[in-house]
Amino acid sequence: MTGWHVDDETLRRYVERIDSVAEGASVEQHVVTCERCRARVNTAAVAVDLAVVDHDAVWDRTRDAVEIPRPSVFERLLSAVGLPSHEARMVAVASAFRGVWLIGVAAVIAFAALAAKIGNTDELWFFLAVAPAAPCLLVAVSYDRRWDPALEPEMVTPYPALRLVLLRTTAVLALALPAVLLLGLVVPGQTPFVWLLPALGFVAVVLAASTWISPLNAATTVSVAWLLAVWLVKRAHSPTVVLEARIQVAFLVLAAASFCIFVVRAHHLSQLRPRR
Amino acid sequence: MDGRPSDAMLLVGVAERDIGAFRTLYERHAGWLSLRLARRCNDAELVADAVQDTFVVIWQKPRSFRGDGDVAAWLWGIAIRRLVSRLRQRSDVAAAFGSSDTVPAAEDEVLLSVEYGDMGAALARLSPEMRAVIQAVVLDGLSAREAAQLLNVPVSSVKTRLFRAKAHLRAALAEGLS
Repeated sequence: MTGWHVDDETLRRYVERIDSVAEGASVEQHVVTCERCRARVNTAAVAVDLAVVDHDAVWDRTRDAVEIPRPSVFERLLSAVGLPSHEARMVAVASAFRGVWLIGVAAVIAFAALAAKIGNTDELWFFLAVAPAAPCLLVAVSYDRRWDPALEPEMVTPYPALRLVLLRTTAVLALALPAVLLLGLVVPGQTPFVWLLPALGFVAVVLAASTWISPLNAATTVSVAWLLAVWLVKRAHSPTVVLEARIQVAFLVLAAASFCIFVVRAHHLSQLRPRR
Repeated sequence: MDGRPSDAMLLVGVAERDIGAFRTLYERHAGWLSLRLARRCNDAELVADAVQDTFVVIWQKPRSFRGDGDVAAWLWGIAIRRLVSRLRQRSDVAAAFGSSDTVPAAEDEVLLSVEYGDMGAALARLSPEMRAVIQAVVLDGLSAREAAQLLNVPVSSVKTRLFRAKAHLRAALAEGLS
């Protein structure tokens, strides 16, 4: 340590910013290591800077920023792909995006895929039944009012329900479809993308049906119906019949038609309205 | 020591989610940090944002201070980089380097040459652009890329200006010695 310290005159010139480069640099290098001079500069800066930087206001903002919970990984991911932060929060807050849901659904699909992989073709029907239905169940959970703690206050503020549902559906599909496709790879005898159209079709049906009934009821009905269908087909023929080309076309038509119904009837999304 | 907790102790408190320690740290450092940032950026709002970002980073990662050197130096390293990152988002704001408020008045020049000798005079004779680069790279410890973002000039310009500024200073000092 040298005996050099910031004298009053230098301090005044530094704070008023009428010092020279060498002088300013000396003060700044010194202040970093000398606690006493730093405290003097700090005090002087707070006094003079009130007009420039309002330290109380900055403190309030800083405290607010650290006290609200950090956005989840998923929310930050949504922001990263360009969604405004308030919308990212609205999408990510849905129960369906909690880790427990995602892990649960992934586990069920993985289990079904594994059963199909190690078992004989008889076990294949289970994967057939589960994989395409999983995304529509997740979508339903993502905007069913019973599962969404944030939906009520959200809907009190006017926010387009259609936009919210579509955003959340897109987010679910972006998560679920790659997972289904990936697990489809391990299932013997099937090309992975055959799951795509049934999955999309069911999601669209759930969206359309949710303009009449609750999304979760719609998704449950669709899933049970699909399960029954696969089971019945399995008893009659090989279960993979449900994924043949002409059936795929039917799924495509189903998806398109359901989506049209959903868009036309979007103002009936009664489930997203506040109860009162 | 008059019983006041050291900065390092306050950081330990922050790591333990002690908002009081955080507040003390803020009061101890926000002033000089914002003043020093304001000397590098004319936009007060941007400076305020950078100070806020700095303390948010401190709250989130208080343990990234390794305990070597001064907490103040560590804080400054975060603050200047937060300012650079804020400036990157707002390219319309010009950095304050080389603006008229850093050019000393004529009588101060004389004082300087007495007080700091040849170095001060040599620094004062540099063009504002070269001085800005010296300040950002040598004094603030920024990389050429960060300095380029702060000053809103290409990285190559930072490198040439730094090279020339050093040559100037070297020549000026050699002249003074002979």
